[in-house]
Amino acid sequence: MDDASLLKRLGRVTAPPDFERRVMAHLARRRAELPQTKRAQAFRYSLAGAAAVFLVCFLALNIFVLRNGPLQTAGRNAAGIQSAREFIPITEAVDYRKEIQNASLEPRTVFILEQISNASNRYINY
Amino acid sequence: MNMDEQRLVGRIQAGDEAAFAEIVRIYKDKIVNYLYQVMGDYQKAVDLSQETFLRVYFKADKYKPIAPFSSWIYAIASNLAKTELKKRRRMNLVSLDEIQPGPDTSTPSGESMDSGLINNLRQALEEISPRYRIPVVLKDMEGYSQEEIAQIIKRPVGTVKARISRGRNLLKKQLEKATQANPSFQKREILDGRC
Repeated sequence: MDDASLLKRLGRVTAPPDFERRVMAHLARRRAELPQTKRAQAFRYSLAGAAAVFLVCFLALNIFVLRNGPLQTAGRNAAGIQSAREFIPITEAVDYRKEIQNASLEPRTVFILEQISNASNRYINY
Repeated sequence: MNMDEQRLVGRIQAGDEAAFAEIVRIYKDKIVNYLYQVMGDYQKAVDLSQETFLRVYFKADKYKPIAPFSSWIYAIASNLAKTELKKRRRMNLVSLDEIQPGPDTSTPSGESMDSGLINNLRQALEEISPRYRIPVVLKDMEGYSQEEIAQIIKRPVGTVKARISRGRNLLKKQLEKATQANPSFQKREILDGRC
């Protein structure tokens, strides 16, 4: 059987009798809704734009302002800070209470604690 | 290129509703039939046809007379059909039980079609991907040339040729499968001496 003639045998359908009237009614309704749709679209775009601007500002603030703040090191002048930057800073969180409790079972260890940063007393900078 | 249609589109671009009504009158049966063959659902085809015409009206300013108006309107209808079929596939709604037969399933000559043949053909057409179904329907049912189909689906002519050929092969395979599943048509065909 030839494929083309085979498909032609499927027969054609026609539009329903009131099709034109329905299309024109839809058109009138859509035209009436158009200003509202445009306003809603403008509102959505402005909302998305505001959110994007906020996100960009937030990221820029984090990257350029907060990260590059001055290194707070006790007892060091500007030259000292410069030389400190030649080393890789390692920050380690330590729970002193646990350390001392664990240490009580072990041979005595003497902890000499020196505050070297004003930022927080929960971190030790080597 | 049909100059009357070009003139009508020009008037639609100026917001003339009478010209739009004329375009609807000219194309309604063609578009409804085309979408029905692609979708396999008459009610959905009517809904999508309405949407097609509304897009013609609202997007008329985007039409450029470098291609025939019929290619443009078929391109809009094809895009809507593709979107709808994708949506259906996502929602897993494709079911042969939901297919509503059109109001007039007779052949152009008025010869009554065997319902087994219609069902098997519809089932086979439903089974092939829209990528192949659309070019096959445009070529074999709507009678468009490969160049016109290339304009409608915005693909090179070589791609269109390949898709038509592959689509026909797939249709043949699917029809064989459908016929095996529902052999009543085949038996009747042989008895009637149609094959």
